[in-house]
Amino acid sequence: MAEQATPVTQRQKSNLLNLDLSQRASLLGYVLVAPVVICLLILVVYPFFYAIWISFTNRTVGGVGDFIGLGNYLYLFKLPSFQATIQNTIVMVVVVQSLKLIFGLGIALLLNQPIKARQFWRGLVLLPWAMPAFVAFITWKLLYASEGGAFNMILIQVADIRLDFLSTKALAMPSVILATFWRGFPFWVISILAALQNVSPELYEAAAIDGANAWQRFQHVTLPSILHVILVVLLLSTIWTTNSFENVWLMTQGGPFDATMTFPVLAYYGLQSLQIARLLPSR
Amino acid sequence: MLYKLSASQKVLYYALLVLMAVVILFPIYYMILISLKLPVDIYRTPSLLPVNATLQNYVELFTKQGYLVNIRNSLVVAGSATIISVLISCMAAFSLVRLKYRYKSWIGRLILFAYLTPTALLFIPLSVIIARLNLGNTLQGLIFVYLTFSAPLSTWLMMGYFRGIPADLEEQAMVDGATRWQAFLRILLPLSAPGLVAVSVFTFTGAWNELLLALIFTTSKDVRTVPVALQYLITGDVFRWGLIMAGSVAAAVPVMILYYLAQRFVVEGLAAGAVKG
Repeated sequence: MAEQATPVTQRQKSNLLNLDLSQRASLLGYVLVAPVVICLLILVVYPFFYAIWISFTNRTVGGVGDFIGLGNYLYLFKLPSFQATIQNTIVMVVVVQSLKLIFGLGIALLLNQPIKARQFWRGLVLLPWAMPAFVAFITWKLLYASEGGAFNMILIQVADIRLDFLSTKALAMPSVILATFWRGFPFWVISILAALQNVSPELYEAAAIDGANAWQRFQHVTLPSILHVILVVLLLSTIWTTNSFENVWLMTQGGPFDATMTFPVLAYYGLQSLQIARLLPSR
Repeated sequence: MLYKLSASQKVLYYALLVLMAVVILFPIYYMILISLKLPVDIYRTPSLLPVNATLQNYVELFTKQGYLVNIRNSLVVAGSATIISVLISCMAAFSLVRLKYRYKSWIGRLILFAYLTPTALLFIPLSVIIARLNLGNTLQGLIFVYLTFSAPLSTWLMMGYFRGIPADLEEQAMVDGATRWQAFLRILLPLSAPGLVAVSVFTFTGAWNELLLALIFTTSKDVRTVPVALQYLITGDVFRWGLIMAGSVAAAVPVMILYYLAQRFVVEGLAAGAVKG
């Protein structure tokens, strides 16, 4: 009798809370997902709502702050810097993403041709993306430099002119856009190329038999097969470009005269001035 | 596509490829070139070729500028952030992909929301939180803050990877008497090794390259990471380009090697996450 009873008590011991199998599975589920959820609640959700709350008060660091409704927003929209920032961010994202789409798709189609040493070319394309962003943008600042920069060195020898790429209002934004494009396009090429290589060759053969020309094959076979990848890449890449701080901060710091000011850089300036305000009374 | 290229196509395609190679390689070449030059050679005899090549900049960087401290800080921060975030995100991804419970879809949405939230919106409240936890100006604080982007991204990528592996094998193991947890540890995790490599490399490089948060949360010289140290060299009054480029090369080489070794896994892992996620 005692021997028969043992397995039962053991089972009861292992099943501490007397839960059935599916309840135990969901308990395990909550326990395993908890660390990430707690991290994100502390680090993202709470700060997110806190940021929204602060934005409706006149709080400064050290002060309590009263509810002032849309005051900050009205103040911000009247700020010339802010208007410039909205415009710059839109221009930057739209132009950079269009360039990445055109060249990303073009280069991916090129690399999908029967060329020799495709792995080598593919590895080469990845180089700018494998490079840390801060290194890439510091290097581009050097390329643009008026003293010691490669572009001006070439311009002086070829046409005897010197351009201040990053400190001229008209040239600063295009220069930042070009560098941002250079660093970001490989992700597009590699993702689109991976999608292209998954398109079944039979589809092309069938299209060729039906007498479709190259453009029709692209339009009716290639494009529909890679569209979902392009959309995912567009989403990810747009988020990265909109949030990018390094490109502007390291090359122009938002200047000249807000010509390249974007949201992350403006916010960083905001925090810096707050820190100064906090330090002032103590001196 | 199994057709052959005509001669004119060949000329066009290879010409385009070479043009692309020049555009990609020129900035990298110039970075290395300038890192090997002294100011006198950069400004007095500007040239696209090496003149009086020297390792003087690297020597100064590592001896006088204390760059080794910055590299050590970056290694500690990126390494710890990677270990913590891969560990917790594997558990979360397993839970979200394989187990059934209420509010699962809400948690999935929370992770996506967290990944989409711009850092620029978060850093002011985050600085209040970090100050309250007494973690300001410490490497621990930076590691903690880096979870804002590394935890959601690695969870998202791991979910894509786990979904690509059929559940049959784990179910088989559970029929044979393994618990859910054992099936995860002994079956699913080993099968996901390429995904783990991809996510680790991605998290590590993400933390190694991060500038904005490091700039905000570290102030004193001894806790500066590599990107912060370099940005202080570049926002000063005098640009010492030789020194700055030596620092850039030293910062880029380790992650670029890592990236190349793991290239295949990274691209596959990203594709899996992107397509299925």
